[in-house]
Amino acid sequence: MTVTFRALVAGIAAIGLLAASQATYAQDKTIKIGALFPMSGPGSYFGAQDKQGVELALEQLNKDGVNGYKFAVQYEDSSCAPLPATQAAKRLIEQFKPDVIIGEECSDATLAVMPIVEQANVPLLNAGSSSIKVTEPGNPWTFRIMPNEVMQGVNLAENAYKRINARNAVLLFENTNAGIGNAQVFKENFTRLGGKVLAEIGFGRDVNDFTAIATRIAGLGKIDVIPTYTLEGQGLKITQALAQAGITKGGGGDAIQIGTIWLPFGFEQKAGKAALGYIRIVQFDPTDARNIVKDFITTFKAKYNADPTHLNAHAYDQIMLIADVVKRGGKDPQSIRDGLAATKNYSGVTGSVEFDKTNQNTKMDTVHYMETKPDMSWTSLKWN
Amino acid sequence: MGFLFAALCIIALPLIFNDTYWRTNLTICAINVLLALGLDFILGYTGQLNLGHSAFYGLGAYVSTLLIVKLGIPFWAAFAAGVAFAGLAGMFLSLFAVRLRGHYLAIASLGFAVIIYQVLLNWISLTQGPLGIYGISPPPAIVVGGTVIVDFRNLTAFFYLVSGFTMLVYLLLDQLVRSPVGETLTAIREDEVSAASLGINGAAWKVFAFGLGAAVAGAAGCFYASFVGTLVPDAFYVSEAFTILAMVIVGGMGTLIGPVFGAILLTLLPEILRGIGDLRLVVYGAALTFVVLFMPGGLVQAARMVQEKLRPAGRGP
Amino acid sequence: MTTTIVLQQAINGVVFGSLYVLVALGLTLIYGVLVQINFAHADFVTLGAFAAYFFMHLIGAGYILSIGAAFLVGAALGWLINASIFTPLRRKGNELLPLIATIGVSVMMQNLMLAWFGPIPYAFETQYSSQVIRFAGIFVSWQNIIIIAVSSVTIALLYAFMKFTFLGKALRAVSQDRETAGLMGINPNYLIMLTFVIASALAGMAGAMLAPVLVLTPFAGTSVIVKAFAIVIIGGFGNVEGTILAGLIVGLIESYTTQFLDPGLIDIVVFALLLLMLAIKPTGLIAERREENV
Repeated sequence: MTVTFRALVAGIAAIGLLAASQATYAQDKTIKIGALFPMSGPGSYFGAQDKQGVELALEQLNKDGVNGYKFAVQYEDSSCAPLPATQAAKRLIEQFKPDVIIGEECSDATLAVMPIVEQANVPLLNAGSSSIKVTEPGNPWTFRIMPNEVMQGVNLAENAYKRINARNAVLLFENTNAGIGNAQVFKENFTRLGGKVLAEIGFGRDVNDFTAIATRIAGLGKIDVIPTYTLEGQGLKITQALAQAGITKGGGGDAIQIGTIWLPFGFEQKAGKAALGYIRIVQFDPTDARNIVKDFITTFKAKYNADPTHLNAHAYDQIMLIADVVKRGGKDPQSIRDGLAATKNYSGVTGSVEFDKTNQNTKMDTVHYMETKPDMSWTSLKWN
Repeated sequence: MGFLFAALCIIALPLIFNDTYWRTNLTICAINVLLALGLDFILGYTGQLNLGHSAFYGLGAYVSTLLIVKLGIPFWAAFAAGVAFAGLAGMFLSLFAVRLRGHYLAIASLGFAVIIYQVLLNWISLTQGPLGIYGISPPPAIVVGGTVIVDFRNLTAFFYLVSGFTMLVYLLLDQLVRSPVGETLTAIREDEVSAASLGINGAAWKVFAFGLGAAVAGAAGCFYASFVGTLVPDAFYVSEAFTILAMVIVGGMGTLIGPVFGAILLTLLPEILRGIGDLRLVVYGAALTFVVLFMPGGLVQAARMVQEKLRPAGRGP
Repeated sequence: MTTTIVLQQAINGVVFGSLYVLVALGLTLIYGVLVQINFAHADFVTLGAFAAYFFMHLIGAGYILSIGAAFLVGAALGWLINASIFTPLRRKGNELLPLIATIGVSVMMQNLMLAWFGPIPYAFETQYSSQVIRFAGIFVSWQNIIIIAVSSVTIALLYAFMKFTFLGKALRAVSQDRETAGLMGINPNYLIMLTFVIASALAGMAGAMLAPVLVLTPFAGTSVIVKAFAIVIIGGFGNVEGTILAGLIVGLIESYTTQFLDPGLIDIVVFALLLLMLAIKPTGLIAERREENV
């Protein structure tokens, strides 16, 4: 009797546990997000910061979940190059089976990955590549929330011509897809308005000394603006060299550096006086008065003890936008894709989001203009 | 016998690993085996220190792709052109460097690779440079009487194509090495001066070998372009040459089977090690260093040592 | 083109050229004595730069002292590489294996640095890099003056060492004929170790001086190393005077190519020059007296 009774109790307990675990399983719904970021090689600069933004967003979202869903992220190293990116994407899709993928940073890698996600019917949300080809022609499964090179270039050229009254420009750009593309757009629009481009100087990612380039620019005569398209490391050297050569305001000259979309908050502290008067488009405005931005900065600082850059902000926005889509009913690749396409006036840290029919976010409040003041602080110019 | 076994393996592999991720890896293995074989022929069999193999890889890829994309030339004709161009470039470099030896040739080949890379990067009007060439198609499908027999957009089919080609190259090189040509090359590698006294024109043979190795790399480049579908100059940065070199060394320089194993191992190792993230390249570099330090004959040497140990120690009394 | 611009670019070229010389001298010294190339040389430069950075920022020491710290770090690395790689491999007699081993070391070092220091560029600012002297339309930063000064003094000291001291002469003896030098009672192994240490110390020091000028990431050294190889050959393997001359020439090529052509063409011009030299005069600008089957 005792043995049978115990067996019975054990059996009921087992069944009960099984039922309970099934129940928890049913409640434990997860939205799987694949993240294609460069984690190795020179591009790891991006990946490291993207991950920070993602982790912050996950922390906040997974406290309570959204619509009963929690979020899980799987990172894959796409190395900022086509072949590793396609490898990483395939591995992600086959093994993790994500509902949505975010990435990549570099245009080459994103363009290479796009056909793969389209074939797999998984939406790709991009916030890092500026090449126009990502959305023209693009494909129905790829979305971009950051302003592309055309949006930024046209706007920048117009503002340079009309608001700063610039008539002479010298283009400085890194020899990559993004650098060349952005410079070309500026040139076309600036000359269309009546401006003159005195020189176009492209340089490789391994150039370290810009004194020679600055010297060459100094010999070109009167220059009003120097649109510069490069990353932080080289950007710093360029700004200092231009000031040393006495070309820009920071060095006692008249020219204003403009452009670049990749210089984070904190650049001035490293560049010093040389950065005076620098006007540039940034995709994250830390002086933005909206509460969502202030909260983001506070929580980011609390977690990482550093000021957030646009890379952190973009990654954060990507996750939050996905959460918003889930709130609106998205739960699998197809419904998330449709939810993204239907986004209207979503307010993110970097600006508002609304996609046009090529899945490009066309809201111009993602294009923030900042100027460096003599005390090295940023002022928002509020041109958009 | 060995070839039958290899052929069976090749046929079976994509059927065992039936997801796109692993099939892609297999195809890349095959391409890397081609590269390693070509370099080993130059380096291990004729002793020419070639540090710029990435140049021929890139030339093959770009020449064939540009012919297809800009002039509409059919795939296999462009393939042949790419291979020929790379081979000629190899012969040119070897001819140029025929008087140089050792480290001079090494640096010259490195310089050549840098120049080729910079040309691919900067001559934007021709190569698109960093802007890249996108949407490159795989080889055209084999159609018989209106029905498609083989569609190379299918990963398995593409893998069979590349590995089949690789096997052919292997067989060709193997025959070459076993023939009197092989003995000539060995003579040149070991002692060129004495070989000359036997009437061997060392220079001519070295140029030939370099050209052949470079042509093989060119073929790998053509396959690479049509496989990945996207072509950017960064894929042929000089560090690629070091990766290929590592495959040859780790596998076993101067043998033909060595590069095969070296290429497979060093292609799959970073993929398998993906889990440890940032440190996988550290492991990669460490592997290279330790192989050179402790087992310079590479995997082949290791295999032979294992074979020795397994052989029965001696006969009975 | 105004003479000011031409003169300015000449100064720019000399500044960068002298840094190249410091890096290339190490390579040429090693080659002269050991007939070997250390591929990880560039990473010694990078590590020297990081050592200087952390020395300044963690200990709060001055910039000049941090150059000394980098010098020592480089020396230690040189000793380590020689002891662990070149000495054991020397007995095997293969001229290719040590080169490949150092390629492996280079990959390891770069990625370890990446893991420790991260990919985000470090801004190495010294009080000298922002102060600029201007005269007659020319500008030179104090950093550049320091570079020229320290490089010149170092090169001069090295040159004097090689030419006039016993150890220096012994080094040259070993590089010309190792066996006979051994017979003369010179211990080649000790000398080789010494060469490595000096060469790598130079690299570390170059790193410390390059740090304010370079974009400081774990990959900073690679931008310099391939040109350093070119310089070593153009100048003549193992030849100190030739390396100095070649380094300055390459520096000038850089600034003038930037001025009159395009920065993207620098590598092409430098390496075309390299191939030209190899075709016409492989022994280098200043011919070595040594017999060598080139």
